[in-house]
Amino acid sequence: MNPEERLSAPIVLEYPFTRTTGPVIGAFMTGLREKIILGIKRDDGTVLVPPTEYDPVTSKALTEMVEVGQTGEVTTWTWVENPRDQSPWDSPHALAMILLDGSDTPFLHAVLVEEPDHMKTGMRVSIKWKKETEGHIQDIEGFVPEKENHA
Amino acid sequence: MAAGGELAAVVGVGMTKFSATRGDVSMPGLVREAAERALKDAEMEWEDIDAVVMGKAPDFFEGVMMPEIFLGEALGAVGKPMLRVHTAGSVGGSTALVAASLVHSGVHERVLTVAWEKQSESNAMWALSLKQPFQVSINAGAGGYFSPIIRQYMEETQAPELIGCMVAFKDRQHALLNPYAHLHQPDLTFDQVVESPMLWEPIRYSETCPSSDGAAAMVIVNETEAKKSANPAWIHAGAMRSEANNFPGRDEVNPQASRECASDLWNQAGIKNPREEIDVAEIYVPFSWYEPMWLESLGFCERGDGWKLVESGATHIDGGDLPINCSGGVLSSNPIGASGMIRFAEAALQVRGMAGEHQVEGARKAMGHAYGGGAQYFAMWVVGKDKPTT
Repeated sequence: MNPEERLSAPIVLEYPFTRTTGPVIGAFMTGLREKIILGIKRDDGTVLVPPTEYDPVTSKALTEMVEVGQTGEVTTWTWVENPRDQSPWDSPHALAMILLDGSDTPFLHAVLVEEPDHMKTGMRVSIKWKKETEGHIQDIEGFVPEKENHA
Repeated sequence: MAAGGELAAVVGVGMTKFSATRGDVSMPGLVREAAERALKDAEMEWEDIDAVVMGKAPDFFEGVMMPEIFLGEALGAVGKPMLRVHTAGSVGGSTALVAASLVHSGVHERVLTVAWEKQSESNAMWALSLKQPFQVSINAGAGGYFSPIIRQYMEETQAPELIGCMVAFKDRQHALLNPYAHLHQPDLTFDQVVESPMLWEPIRYSETCPSSDGAAAMVIVNETEAKKSANPAWIHAGAMRSEANNFPGRDEVNPQASRECASDLWNQAGIKNPREEIDVAEIYVPFSWYEPMWLESLGFCERGDGWKLVESGATHIDGGDLPINCSGGVLSSNPIGASGMIRFAEAALQVRGMAGEHQVEGARKAMGHAYGGGAQYFAMWVVGKDKPTT
């Protein structure tokens, strides 16, 4: 049989799954709704953002949530020229690892600048919140160069 | 012993309370709870564990992808070998056996094994009812799949219609003796079981398992480590078998893989007469009729006599000589991926004398059993209060 003549049919799987956040991720999400960023302190005093329930090295349960800054430094980045349909961002932007002040681990978010020439490792950025927040990582619209946010 | 190599024993058992929704914990929090209890029972710390072996039902039951990776921290697996086992509903049993094999082989001395499911975050009925192109779709989940097989058993053995209800009522009574059980129905009567709605003819609502969140864990160690424990459950035998779920001539009531798995198990354990030599068994019974069906397949009685054991009360903890599912069984708690491990862990608790109110007095040898898929994956073990002699 000619391969083109073999039958095929679409199969679409869809189900609205649930996620229970637990005490630590739940607090982080609630913080976003309140427009603050919560990390979690490890035994050695370093702070993880986003927080984890268990220490990534020792597996000890972590409980001490701490608020960190809303400004930080880009530790590395890539440029997204053509965001895909499901991207939270419509315009070209950078995806960056951002080390917030007071945190010891960088986390991933967008830096909203118009072209890659405006991006630089080590640049300072600050959070741009959405007007309405609901307890979701996209309550952060993105990060912008620090000076721009103060302007 | 046929498992070969080093002796292995269970020295720690931990379970969560099983319930419809554990909304207070994340997936990491759920597995952590069972694992911490097992470590505490074993009087160990996270650093004492050499390797972690985890099992759960298929990923899309929760819509997760390889949860063994994001659960590493919660299970103290950072920097250690971590394995995931997949064998559908039997996975909790096979996971324990894989963990045991790491000790039998001498590769590791202390292994933590954990199995879990968080059914509230998904819907197994949905996951098991997906319409596939080019196939007849009954869209009826596991019950729809198993009900014709159950009818075949009833017709072949001329079993009275209410045997399944007797099993269901017995397991719900047993569950009242187990604080971890999901279903606690102190006011349930036998008549209510009989009168419950017919879900998948001939299976009534009350003859089916609940949908549960929960996790179970065990610490399995070698002989040197086991000597530090006051009451290790020694592993006498472990066997696994599988077969395709559809081929011409398949005996769906009494699958070849089940029979051969049991036969291998009894041989390894040196057991000639399971009915006489096993003091208590935890058998995977998600639909009531599977108790008599598996009793026959496992060789606890002749083919056609399973329902007579049920009818005689032999499988009841109160007065029975072969108590089955004293914990309340899968019919009272079903966090799918964990359900097999709960069977294995309950067998261990019985021979350790730690089963609390559902303890069978003087239990020295116990069997744990799990099956999965279209009754096509089997995992079984025998544990004993005494060290295996051969």
